Amino acid sequence: MTTARDFLKGNEALAYGALRTGLNAFFGYPITPSSEIPETLAVEFGNPQYPAFKVFLQAASEIEAINMVIGAAATGAKVMAATSGPGFSLKQEGISFASGMELPMLIVDVNRGGPGLGNLGPEQTDYFQATKGGGHGGYRNIVLAPSSVPEMASFPALAFSLAFKHRTPVIILTDAFLGQLKEDLMFPEVPALEFDTSWATTGARGPERHVISSMHLDLPELSRHSEHLRSKFEGVDRSEQRSEKFQTDDADVILVAYGICARLCQRAVGTLRAKGVRVGLLRPITLSPFPKGELTAFVERGVQKFLVVELNTGQMIQDVQLATGGRAQVGSLQRVGGLIPSPSEIVHEVEGMVR
Amino acid sequence: MASTVATEVPKSRVVVDAERCKGCDLCVVACPQQNLHLSGALNRSGYHPAVFEYHGKKGACTACGICYWVCPDFAITEVLRWKA
Amino acid sequence: MIDIEGHYEVKLGPLPTLTGKPTHYCAGCEHGTLTRLIAVALHEMGVRERTVLVDSVGCSVLAHEYLNVDAIQSPHGRAPAVMTGIKRMHPELLVFAVQGDGDAVSIGLSELIYAANRGEPITVFLVNNGIYGMTGGQMAPTTPEGMVTMTTPHGRDIAITGAPIDASKLLATFEAPAYVKRVFLPVTPTPAPDFYNARGSIEGARSVKNAFRVQEMGGFSFVEFVSTCNVNWKMSILKSKQYAAEVLAKVFPPGLFKDKFGVEKR
Repeated sequence: MTTARDFLKGNEALAYGALRTGLNAFFGYPITPSSEIPETLAVEFGNPQYPAFKVFLQAASEIEAINMVIGAAATGAKVMAATSGPGFSLKQEGISFASGMELPMLIVDVNRGGPGLGNLGPEQTDYFQATKGGGHGGYRNIVLAPSSVPEMASFPALAFSLAFKHRTPVIILTDAFLGQLKEDLMFPEVPALEFDTSWATTGARGPERHVISSMHLDLPELSRHSEHLRSKFEGVDRSEQRSEKFQTDDADVILVAYGICARLCQRAVGTLRAKGVRVGLLRPITLSPFPKGELTAFVERGVQKFLVVELNTGQMIQDVQLATGGRAQVGSLQRVGGLIPSPSEIVHEVEGMVR
Repeated sequence: MASTVATEVPKSRVVVDAERCKGCDLCVVACPQQNLHLSGALNRSGYHPAVFEYHGKKGACTACGICYWVCPDFAITEVLRWKA
Repeated sequence: MIDIEGHYEVKLGPLPTLTGKPTHYCAGCEHGTLTRLIAVALHEMGVRERTVLVDSVGCSVLAHEYLNVDAIQSPHGRAPAVMTGIKRMHPELLVFAVQGDGDAVSIGLSELIYAANRGEPITVFLVNNGIYGMTGGQMAPTTPEGMVTMTTPHGRDIAITGAPIDASKLLATFEAPAYVKRVFLPVTPTPAPDFYNARGSIEGARSVKNAFRVQEMGGFSFVEFVSTCNVNWKMSILKSKQYAAEVLAKVFPPGLFKDKFGVEKR
């Protein structure tokens, strides 16, 4: 049970946010630091406050979980799974199938340290895997990056809206920091979401039937299907770029950061502004589609300096470089291993760029 | 539909879709009355399809349906019995 | 001269549960036979409009091309997990998969075991021909000792690769599954020359229907069909039936391993 106003961990807020959008089913496998999501949903399963929540099932593996998600998604259900690093890797085959079969679903990756077993600290090292496809074959996911506990609560509604609108998997890419961070939040009022599910496989009631398949053995047929997916992703790219700008109007230097790093950058912007440095922050909300429109606009306005702050050894910076097209200096501040930079380090880095 | 005219009424018979048949021989070896054999001619897919004969080596077709049940290609499309 | 059209009753005929498309299966393959048995059961039970087929990976990957029902494809080995997702959301549906031995017993064994152990009310039909068919005849977990395959060119050595896995016996050790049965599906040689009995098909038809009935009663049902793969066994069709009867049926003897609801007696 939650009240409209509460004090929760990011993972708990995400679970309640999903329930408040009318989540139908959850299939998961425990993995730190995402386990509060299945734990919260297990407690709320059967709560009459969430009548749409019909299925909670702990699977025997990450692979089993994602395939259960595929099955439920094929019936038109609002279904989700939550995982972290190694589990996200195991889910990639299923996500590739779901993308090819155009199934809406929500997958949450609470990014931990890697590669391999890594550790339980926050990283943003799954950026490539989430935004560039991650599994086999050519496809893209829609990827959302919350940067606060209130956003952890409100993004499931956005995720399901996008997933059903474009019939594709949506990933909420967060990290161990935001998953474990406790904050005060107000749950937004979300109307019960209802989507068109006329394509679902729930029994052929007339002569017409539905076959959901990613297999097209005929070469021109697969080519047509791939073209269809490409044009869908291009449409998503045009219409769904989301970002937040903070004090960018007059800025000479723009910080680019998402998730927990955006919070740190926001603090640094305040400190730098007090020192008279004209700096702003662009926070991508959709990592895919990447908000390149905003970056291009900055370059066209004459911004010459960007600083990408991320918890990896250089992943989002490639998208920033692509969007700015070599017409601006793109600096980088990186941390890995579960460590995060302090706002004063970011301040120092920016001061070095403007000196 | 064109009428099928016969001089003798087969009490039971089966209909083979020769174009579906892959000539696997299963109906031939499973028919208790040995009423089926493979044609010497080829169908469009290049198989020798099964051919039904009312009078087999062991007797007349009884519409037992065994050929229908063993056929992997749904090429035995109908098993028919005379209504009298 | 007698006009005989219209004077026959159709004892067995075309089925609305089949699409009518010609199959891609090799001549004489039990996959086709099983497809017919399933189509008959779905038709006779009148359940087409609430049936969902889950395709596996292997020769059965195109089952939806022939069975005229709603269908969804699953990744290799994952059909029982996909079925679970469907069935948990929609318990009123009849959900089933046709899986091969590579799909169900090798890469997908975990999904099969856990679905069985939960007693998911779903149905798995396993076509066990002791080899990977679609990929071109490599060793399967069910390949009998000594069998030459593309990846065991000197015959399967169980000291190296382990012994064939008996999926029916394995599933029967769990408490939850309600119906576990193994049927020898091919036509079987008899002492009479050039005559093969078709008991496998008849027994198979009963078992398919029983498996669906068990699912409707709320139980997990599993029927393993010992089958042939003459192309990859590199034998003539009839020789493969003989080999199946003499070798495969010894490794995987037919039997009723579990029947919690007593459907076989009814």
